[in-house]
Amino acid sequence: MSTADLALTPARAPALETLSRRDRRLGKILLAPALAYIFLLVALPFLLALFLSLTNSSAGSLDFSFVGLQNFRSVLRSAVFLRALRNTFIFTFVSQLLVIVMGNILARALMRPFRGKLLVRFLILLPWAAPISLATLGWLWIFDSTFSVINWLLKVVGWLGPGQWYYWLGDPVLGMIAIITVHVWRMLPFSTVILLAGLTSIPKEVHEAADIDGAGPLAKTFQITLPMMLPILTVAVLFGVVFTFTDMSVVYLLTRGGPYNSTHVLASLAFQDGVLGGDVGRGAAVAIFLVPLLVVMAVVMLRISRRAEVV
Amino acid sequence: MHSRRQFILKGAKLVAAGAAATSVGPTVFARGAAGADKTLKVLQWAHFVPAYDKWFDPWAKEWGSKRGVEVTVDHVGFADVVPRATAEVAAQSGHDIHMFIGLASAFEEHVIDVKDVVGTLEKKYGKSVDLAHRSTYNPFTKKQFAVSDMWVPDPGNYHKKVWTDIGMPAGPATYEDLVKAAPEIKRVAPQMQIPIGVGLSQDIDSNMAVRNMLWCHGGSIQDKDGNVVLNSPETLKALEYAKRLYSVGMTQAVLSWNAASNNQAFNAQETAYILNSISAYRTAQDNKLPVLENYFFVPALKGPTGIQLASEHVMSGYVIWKFSKSQEIAKEFLVALVDASRDSMLASKLYNFPSFYGAAADPNTPMAKKAESGAAWIAKQCNADPFGSQPGDKLSLLAKALPWSTNLGYPGFANPAEGEIFDTYVITDMFAKAATGALSPKDALNEASNRCKEIFGKWRKKGMVAGDSKDR
Repeated sequence: MSTADLALTPARAPALETLSRRDRRLGKILLAPALAYIFLLVALPFLLALFLSLTNSSAGSLDFSFVGLQNFRSVLRSAVFLRALRNTFIFTFVSQLLVIVMGNILARALMRPFRGKLLVRFLILLPWAAPISLATLGWLWIFDSTFSVINWLLKVVGWLGPGQWYYWLGDPVLGMIAIITVHVWRMLPFSTVILLAGLTSIPKEVHEAADIDGAGPLAKTFQITLPMMLPILTVAVLFGVVFTFTDMSVVYLLTRGGPYNSTHVLASLAFQDGVLGGDVGRGAAVAIFLVPLLVVMAVVMLRISRRAEVV
Repeated sequence: MHSRRQFILKGAKLVAAGAAATSVGPTVFARGAAGADKTLKVLQWAHFVPAYDKWFDPWAKEWGSKRGVEVTVDHVGFADVVPRATAEVAAQSGHDIHMFIGLASAFEEHVIDVKDVVGTLEKKYGKSVDLAHRSTYNPFTKKQFAVSDMWVPDPGNYHKKVWTDIGMPAGPATYEDLVKAAPEIKRVAPQMQIPIGVGLSQDIDSNMAVRNMLWCHGGSIQDKDGNVVLNSPETLKALEYAKRLYSVGMTQAVLSWNAASNNQAFNAQETAYILNSISAYRTAQDNKLPVLENYFFVPALKGPTGIQLASEHVMSGYVIWKFSKSQEIAKEFLVALVDASRDSMLASKLYNFPSFYGAAADPNTPMAKKAESGAAWIAKQCNADPFGSQPGDKLSLLAKALPWSTNLGYPGFANPAEGEIFDTYVITDMFAKAATGALSPKDALNEASNRCKEIFGKWRKKGMVAGDSKDR
């Protein structure tokens, strides 16, 4: 008996309705924890941040008054904020570009059979599993301005002459390079795994058919692999971009925004102003500054992803 | 093997036992709750001299056990002291006592007035040292928001051999000496990466070092009445000096230093002068480092104005939160902590200096002589270091550190605005930008001055900070 037949049987209708109602109730119950989680840990803090950004709230006080857009006007006049805004874009786009390109290369390498593949996969995943605070301590030593092992190595191989030294964390440009390096190191495993999953999900027959049609490696990459991986690639990029835009851990642990506040990103500056400096209103204004942009970016990327799925 | 009947019987017994336990549960809980009135939770920093924590924790527990109070001590790294306070205020729960190592003034509104504690201590020991008073009392709101049991001097640390080789065996005495010595140090010790290691980075030690430079050139962030006076010819002179010093004696390394970096650089003999308390020296002693025989100290440097000042390196500020349910016990604890000033100083290997000198006095000393007696005891320790300095009087200058030590906020009192400026590195950034040429001294000064005025303005609106009529 088909569902349509059941629907037409009058005696069964109330039973079906009950079942359907039960399903709906069960659905709501199953969805409730996720909704509660999103509401309590995402929506509520976000609304609170939005609210606080319009106040003169400070860390040592529960009293505040509304100051309108004063916090936003104040941060927009600040050279430190403008620098942090620029750094946030550089940090996000450069690191994501590197992560996607290197993740692709690694994923393709890991597709091929070779000896010790399991060990290599484990080693690649290690940075993702390591606590960032612990890992950054290692990087702090690697980039230390006085004791950097990179510099000592460069000295040994003759790259750095007498009196020459790279002050990785004491120079604004080298500081950003160090921050991006650590972040790429940290994000690469996740991206590699995602892309590896995407690559393995492409049926072999499609590539075989392309081979028969005489498609070269480039044509296969741009006309088969990339289009078929687009949905998963979009998810990887979206996750990476949002995560990087809102991350402060690497900056805070490596340079603390220095030298002279030149390597801050918005998240670390928000922490410095709002938590360390005690100006919660200003910190909140800095923190939520990029929310509209992130929302637009997420919507666009999800639409691209959905279209690619339909195709 | 159990039969089904036995299983059910045992199960029933277990259920009955559970029910009985549940029925007496509230009683146990009530006892626990009654006992909870006699608990005290203390949040303390992880001391730079780890031996201190080994003394403090058992001491606190023992103090509690004698009074039937369960004392819990938690330690956090110095950088987490303020974020942790912020979190506890937001949650309105946490520890009863919170120790700040810098300025607690931003939290004034959420702590109880401990005027009575300080009053009790003054009756027992006489007044505290002035810089401790200026760090824990707000004259504008007339609130004693914290109790200080100790402060830490911040002398210069110099490499005796290197400075002897350049003809200055006693080390530098003025800021100008650093500029003169830097090229000479490069000549006699070319292996040293940073001849003069004065930090200009976003860290606590740099924050103090640049203030010393500012004050000794006659500048300051605020005047004694809380007016913002950073924008002055004196500050400009200090910035120009920093630029000169940086160009002859420093590298970009000092822009990236954290609180441990200057210690590490000096202990590795990569620099010939740093500003630090004796914690780096104690580390060198504990590890028997080669630098030890050349590890010597000088007092704060004099500026061209003749002013010789250094910020305290650490100023303890114990607050009792308003949300604490053990406020009276907490007050007793703080009095006891000051009572133990001698033990505290010895446990920290002479790192901690008592905020109430009288608390270090010999027993039965008349009230009028207590401060003097305490100072004599402190001098005795410093003149013959019980922790193995060679020569034994290596630390004797610390006993005379009080006249050249001052509080954050000098020449005024510490206040929340000074605290925010400190914690967001406004002054270190001004010096770093001017020194490196990222901005001209004048532009760096204007930028910092505007930010200081903005911060002071905000706190004045909240009624926490005085001044504004004479802001520059």
